Parts: sequence; structure tokens; C-alpha cells
Amino acid sequence: MEWVALLLFLSVIAVLLAGFPVAFTLGGTALIFAAAGVVTGTFNEALLSGLPNRLFGIMTNETLVAVPLFVFMGVTLERARIAEDLLDTLSALFGTLRGGLGISVTLVGMLLAASTGIVGATVVTMGLLSLPTMLKRGYSPGIAAGTICASGTLGQIIPPSIILVMLGDVMTSAYQQAQLEMGIYSPKTVSVGDLFAGALIPGLLLVVLYVAYIVVAAIAKPALMPAHERGPDERVGFGAVMGALVPPLVLIFAVLGSILMGLATPTEAAGVGGMGALLMAVLRKQLDLGRLTEIMQSTLRISSMVFLILIGASVFSLVFRGYGGDEGVRAVLEALPGGVIGAVVVVMLVMFLLGFVLDFIEITFVVVPIVGPVLLAMGLDPVWLGIMIAINLQTSFLTPPFGFALFYLRGVAPPEVPTSAIYRGVIPFVAIQVLALLLLAIVPELVTWLPGQVYGR
Amino acid sequence: MSEPSQPVNSRNLLDRISEATGRATAWLTLLMVLVTFVVVIMRYVFDAGLIWVQESVTWMHAVVFMVGAAYTLRHEEHVRVDIFYRAAGARRRAWVDAIGVVVFLLPLCAFLAVKSWDFVAVSWSMKEASRESGGLPYPLLPLLKTVLVIMPVMVSLQGLSLFANAVRTIRAPGGSD
Repeated sequence: MEWVALLLFLSVIAVLLAGFPVAFTLGGTALIFAAAGVVTGTFNEALLSGLPNRLFGIMTNETLVAVPLFVFMGVTLERARIAEDLLDTLSALFGTLRGGLGISVTLVGMLLAASTGIVGATVVTMGLLSLPTMLKRGYSPGIAAGTICASGTLGQIIPPSIILVMLGDVMTSAYQQAQLEMGIYSPKTVSVGDLFAGALIPGLLLVVLYVAYIVVAAIAKPALMPAHERGPDERVGFGAVMGALVPPLVLIFAVLGSILMGLATPTEAAGVGGMGALLMAVLRKQLDLGRLTEIMQSTLRISSMVFLILIGASVFSLVFRGYGGDEGVRAVLEALPGGVIGAVVVVMLVMFLLGFVLDFIEITFVVVPIVGPVLLAMGLDPVWLGIMIAINLQTSFLTPPFGFALFYLRGVAPPEVPTSAIYRGVIPFVAIQVLALLLLAIVPELVTWLPGQVYGR
Repeated sequence: MSEPSQPVNSRNLLDRISEATGRATAWLTLLMVLVTFVVVIMRYVFDAGLIWVQESVTWMHAVVFMVGAAYTLRHEEHVRVDIFYRAAGARRRAWVDAIGVVVFLLPLCAFLAVKSWDFVAVSWSMKEASRESGGLPYPLLPLLKTVLVIMPVMVSLQGLSLFANAVRTIRAPGGSD
């Protein structure tokens, strides 16, 4: 009955395109398939009886508690206008250099990693924040759009991003399952901390490559990103620079450092980070009851959105499994020529294409649990696989003409920025992404070295 | 991201229920941050482990996303794949919402509520308490499990409101596709 599982998968993709909320579409479509199967005697209803217990497992999953806490931290930083200040300060510092503003935007994108898990939201924020300034200062629309899309999606893979928390949780169970199937009964584990550590070097590598590209482009074609003549009222004092830069840097390094040094679990670090963000907001006089209410309600909405997708995805995967979809995927992947390399290449290509339709959260909860155990059972490193998936998806979100990031930037870009300029501007960044993926494929130690040092895996 | 097909300022009873519960539940997010912070301080500064308090963050988290689901639906924040939805006119979006509620949302919620009912009822009838240290005592454990029924019921009610608004949009004269 594997063909029914395939049909289910394709139907879900097709129905999702209509635009009804993902969580209900995933679960609802799967239920229709299950009902049809029960009526025709091809689906065993008993398979669904474990569902409440599974959902209760989601409710009490301690790893994922880090998600709302990180969201709280990110939303607080956003509402306290930390990003605006950072961008203002950095561009005042670097703006007089050719390409300096572009570099500032990249750095802010990197530092504000944690804010949200939704590709659209970050790109929209970055677009509203920096596109007008870049255009006003004479940046070519293409290079401005490319920089914003790339750095807006970069936050997804730089720790502490909630995407990595979710991917870490999914990878943990995929790794367990893979090892049990390989007959290893004292399995090694992989944690969210491993993924954070593994993502750090590749994330910084991407930042370095972006900045290098901006610098080279600024030197080769100065007209693309002119230097900004600083007006007398734009001078920034040392105190102002420190005031804008130091607190967020301290917060991010404290959160990340305590996780990487093994002092705190991601959940603990996220709670302390949330507290730190609140404190910063108070000190900057950006926090009153109204804004606090906004932060809390926004946190609730984002986490409810994330976890309802997880619930919908669990219903989906129960039904998908019930129709033997897992076995089908395994058979296909194992039959591919080229062994593990062939399987990875095919999975990456499929995810890349799915990235045109589905967001990070859906792919993490729907697709990774299906293909993860099979790939890991072929002997791949779980951290390496997780990071490859993350960068691959980021690339997908950037690729014209369907990339998510481009749609969202189009939505906030003024009409004088033609869509073709956005597409052209983002292509060098897509090339950088592909280059990074190849590098990580050839030198996996770029991912695996740091977690080994930190956690002695 | 996309324009909601339902007016956020609509004030029917179902909307008000979702709104009130969402706003109240949202306070738990702040409490989660504060409690986590206190637990960390107690652990690293005073070397005192507070397992029960630490676990309570997980329970609050569960209540936040389950009980807040209807409120999130009302505020149009359950993400959609909006490549086409975004570009569609108000009437077409209303059709998507109306059909989606009937075909996906209500059946899924009914299924979840019915399936969870026994699971929850058993937990109440055997006065279930967690056997792990720091786990939930009776009646908190059954109470937390009851959230599994509350979520689909509340989301269904909010779904009915979404449906009613969608039908109103479809019927309104002069709408565009």
C-alpha cells in the first residue's frame, strides 16, 4: 500500500497550496485518508489509538520547552527596538566605508538569530528596517535585496535559533530509531546543544563569505554601494556605540556560551536569556504594561502556531506509517545508485524543492522524521545531517523564482525595486550557499569538530 | 503575513471566549521565563534543586500552546502556505476558509476530542498521579491531560466563527474573486 502513502504525501502538498492553515490541513488530509482506508479495509484503525498518548508526549517534551522561551527572548528584543539601534549604530560606524551598510545589515541578521522561527517574519523585519536606508544611500536595489534576503534567512541556522531546537529534537529520536534498527542497544545520543555547536562554524563561515562578497563587489563596482558622507548630526559617540552594542552582545554570548560550555541546558539558557532581554528593555525604558502584554501574546501565538503544526504532523506521520510509507521511503533510498551519497543527494534535492512550498517548521516535523532514520542508519553523523538540511533549506528559501524570502521581501519592497532586481541580486548569495554546502560535504569536520570538542562526542 | 479573511475586531461570543482565554493564558509565558530564571539561580547559586518547580515550566508551556490555539486561530497566526492565498481576492479566500473549516478543521478537532476523551477519562477515574519524582500529583495530572480535549473543542468553536465570517464574505454583494 506504499502508493497510498505517496498519494497522501502528494495530496497534502497540493491541498496546502490552497492556503488553509497548515496544522489543520496536515492532520485533516491524513484523517480523510485514514477514514477511506478503514472503510476499504486497507488501514488498521488501531494504529490511531496511540495518538492521545503521543500528543501528551508533545505537551510534556522538555527539550521543546526551549522554543517558547527563546521566542519570548526574541520578541522582547524586537519590541525593545534592539535591532533598530544595532543597525543604526553599526551603519554609523561602517557606513562611511563602501559596502559598510551592507556589512552592517549582515551582522545584524546574524545577531538577531533567535527572534522567530518563521522565514517570512525575519525577512520582513529586516526589509522594513534596512531596505529604505540602503536605497536612500544609493545602493543598487539588487545588492540591497540580496543582502537582506540572505542575512534575514541566516538567522535560522545560527544558534540559538528555534529551528535548531526543533531539528535537534527530531534528530534525537531519528538517531535513536536508526541505532535500534542497526542493532545498537546502548545508543549514542544527539542533543540540541550538539546542533547549536555544530551550526556555529558553518554559520560564521556563511557570514564571512557574505561579507567577503560584499567587500569584493564594493571594490569592483563602487557605484553599486556608495560610501555615505556622514552629516554633522550623524556622529556617534563612543558611549552610544557601547550602549547599543554591548548589552545584546553580552546577552547572546551568555546564552550561547552557557550552552556550549555545558553550564546550562538550552531551556535554562533560554529562560535566563528571556529575563536578560526583559531587563534590557526595562533599562532602555522600552517596557511598559502594554508592551509586555504584546510580548506575551505574541509569544503565545508563535508557540501555539509551531506546536499545532507538530500535532498536525504527528497525525500525518501516523497515517503515513500506517500505509507503509516509511518502508517505501527506505526501499527507495536504499535502492539508489551511489549508496549513502546518492541517498543524501536525492533527499537534499527533494527538500530543496519542498522548500518552495513548505516552511522550515513543516519540513522539520513532517519530512525529517521520515527520511532521518533511514539516512542515519546508513552511518551519517546526525549533527552533520541536521546542519546540511538547515543550510540546504535556507538556500531553497533564497532561490528564485519560488524562494519564500523573495516573496516576503517583494511584499515590503517599494515599487521602484523591480522583482527582476531582487532575483538578480540574490543569485550571488545562492552561489555562496551552494559553495558552503559543497565545502561541508567535502570537509564534514567543519560541522562535527566543535561538538566533539565541546561535548566529547 | 496575509490579510485575515475574518475581521479581527468582530465581537461575537465565540471570538470573545477565544480572546479572553488567550489573553489570560499569555501571562503564563512571562511566568515560564521567571520560573526558569529562578530555578537556574537556585541551582547554580544556592545549589538547590527544585524539580517540581522546574517541571511546572513544562506544564505551563503545554497549557500555553494548547489553550492558546483558538486565540491564535482568531488572530490569523496559524501559518498558511500562502503562495496563492495571498494573491487571491477576499471572496476566494473566504471559500478556502469555509471549505477548510468543514473538511479539515472540524473533523480533525472532533477526532482529537473523541480519541482523547477516553484517555482523559481513564486518567480521572483512576486518580492518576505521576510515579516519577517531581511528576504531577493527582488531580493535576488528569487536569493537564484534560487540555487534550479542551484544545480541539475551543478550536472548533473558533473555527465556527471563522466559517460564519467566511460565509458572510461570500454572500456579501460586490465582492471580488
